[in-house]
Amino acid sequence: MARQVLRFTGVGGQGVLLAGEIFASAKINQGGFGMKTATYTSQVRGGPTVVDIQLDDDEIWYPYAIDGQIDFMLSVADVSYQQFKLGVREGGTIVIEPNLVHPTEEDRKKWNIVEIPIITIAKEEVKLVLTQSVVALAIANTYQKLIDEKLLVDTMLSKVPERFHKPNILAYELGKKYAEEAMAAA
Amino acid sequence: MAAGGDNVVIKDGMREVVMPGNHLAAQAAVDCGCKFYGGYPITPSTEVMEYISDILPAVGGTCIQMEDEIGGIAAAIGASMSGVRAMTGTSGPGISLKAENLGLAQMAEVPLVVVNVMRGGPSTGLPTRVAQGDVAQAKNPSHGDYKSIALCAGTLAECYTETVRAFNLADRFMQPVFVLLDATLGLMHAKAILPTLEEVQAGIIPRKKFEGAPEDYKPYGVAQDEPAVLNPMFQGYRYHFTGLHHDAMGFPTEEIETCRKLIDRLFNKIDAHRDEIEHNEEFMVDDADILLIGYGSASLAIKEAVVRLRDEGIKAGMFRPITIWPSPEERMNELGQKFDKVLSIELNQGQYLEEIQRCMGRRDIQKLVKTNGRPFSPQDIIDKVKEVF
Repeated sequence: MARQVLRFTGVGGQGVLLAGEIFASAKINQGGFGMKTATYTSQVRGGPTVVDIQLDDDEIWYPYAIDGQIDFMLSVADVSYQQFKLGVREGGTIVIEPNLVHPTEEDRKKWNIVEIPIITIAKEEVKLVLTQSVVALAIANTYQKLIDEKLLVDTMLSKVPERFHKPNILAYELGKKYAEEAMAAA
Repeated sequence: MAAGGDNVVIKDGMREVVMPGNHLAAQAAVDCGCKFYGGYPITPSTEVMEYISDILPAVGGTCIQMEDEIGGIAAAIGASMSGVRAMTGTSGPGISLKAENLGLAQMAEVPLVVVNVMRGGPSTGLPTRVAQGDVAQAKNPSHGDYKSIALCAGTLAECYTETVRAFNLADRFMQPVFVLLDATLGLMHAKAILPTLEEVQAGIIPRKKFEGAPEDYKPYGVAQDEPAVLNPMFQGYRYHFTGLHHDAMGFPTEEIETCRKLIDRLFNKIDAHRDEIEHNEEFMVDDADILLIGYGSASLAIKEAVVRLRDEGIKAGMFRPITIWPSPEERMNELGQKFDKVLSIELNQGQYLEEIQRCMGRRDIQKLVKTNGRPFSPQDIIDKVKEVF
């Protein structure tokens, strides 16, 4: 596969780091190279957080996504959306939480902006807000077709305590369903 | 608990793990026999302590969070004097606080590994951002005359292997050894290929011990190019422990020749054995026209830039000192004679540039520096090469 570059952004405490870690580990389990690099501010909780994820069959040296080369971004906070959106290549996909992120009309012309209420899904349908990172994981993988689904879910479950397996499986299924619906509607 | 826990995969006799650099440094310590960690959490090094607090007790070791940075290193020095491998970890502001005790460990010759996940400064600087702000500090963190050993990891695997090497060098030369990481390496999460646990353990060089009669024991009465031989405390071999100039038994003295010889020996024990300490990487240097010099996480961007420059027909190569202190003096001198075009790349204002100039005996080295807490991109380096050469 050609190098795939993703960026997850949010604010500290939302769990965006974990989704990146799962992607990188799953790609490595598949036999390639995956890398997750996180940047956050001194504020930590509530401060803008960005996670760059690179997946490749060949070795990756430079750990950060290069602005303008990002294929897919997912954002669950406006402060980080505004700060990091310019890294996405023109025509790239940006999935946003519509209750929290507010793109301009210009943005909608430049990128394929998809609205999926990631946090609401986790909060009201899974009934566990912590699972938003797994909803995000499912959305990203459904859009970008990056990793074999079973492998990705198994990797995710290996990082989650057993008593939380059930809600996280549900979160993955819901994320996938919403992504497929958004893709069909496009 | 071996590296990677359940996620470790053995391939071609090596271990494949997926871990961040800070965890790899902690794991390396445990794998090579560290039994004590004393510290105080500080960004971006906190994960070193967090992880080792999980895995060290599982092998019978002790991890203690002290009241502050000073207490952390003081406890680790005490543990080391009892004969066990000991470590502390921190970031630049923590090294500033630990400075006095680092001097004590240099003077009294107490082996210790100090992991420093660097950030920028002065003072508290940019705590969560990447910088290589402690390179000059690592050479002389405390007052007085001594020779630091500082190893600077440039890959995830080296966060592990250089920590193992640091423990072996600390016991060999009886002094603190720095392992320098930075926020990028410490927090990035990817695959690392590590030697097997058996290989790591087979490579452990135990601290020298005096086996003769206790009345013949003179811990500091050693050859002028060798470190002290400090037997573990409370085993019948008595000596005096002090930060003052001291004699063969460790007792304070102002005797002229003894004082001169002591400080000379702290230098000689390193200078006479530089070949055991030096470690570098050369990447596409053989046929290069332009030499880029960098270390730590900056080298990840440099490597990528070297490949892209070559795609454009510009033959660049990279020299990366892994042992930063003592510097690879002779090799840098040879390279300085071979290359007209040399560019030094650092995530600070040029803390190593003066050393490169000294070693190469020239002042026309170009520099690319950054101190805004952001990493270099490969394009930054490509643009600079095209601008100056």
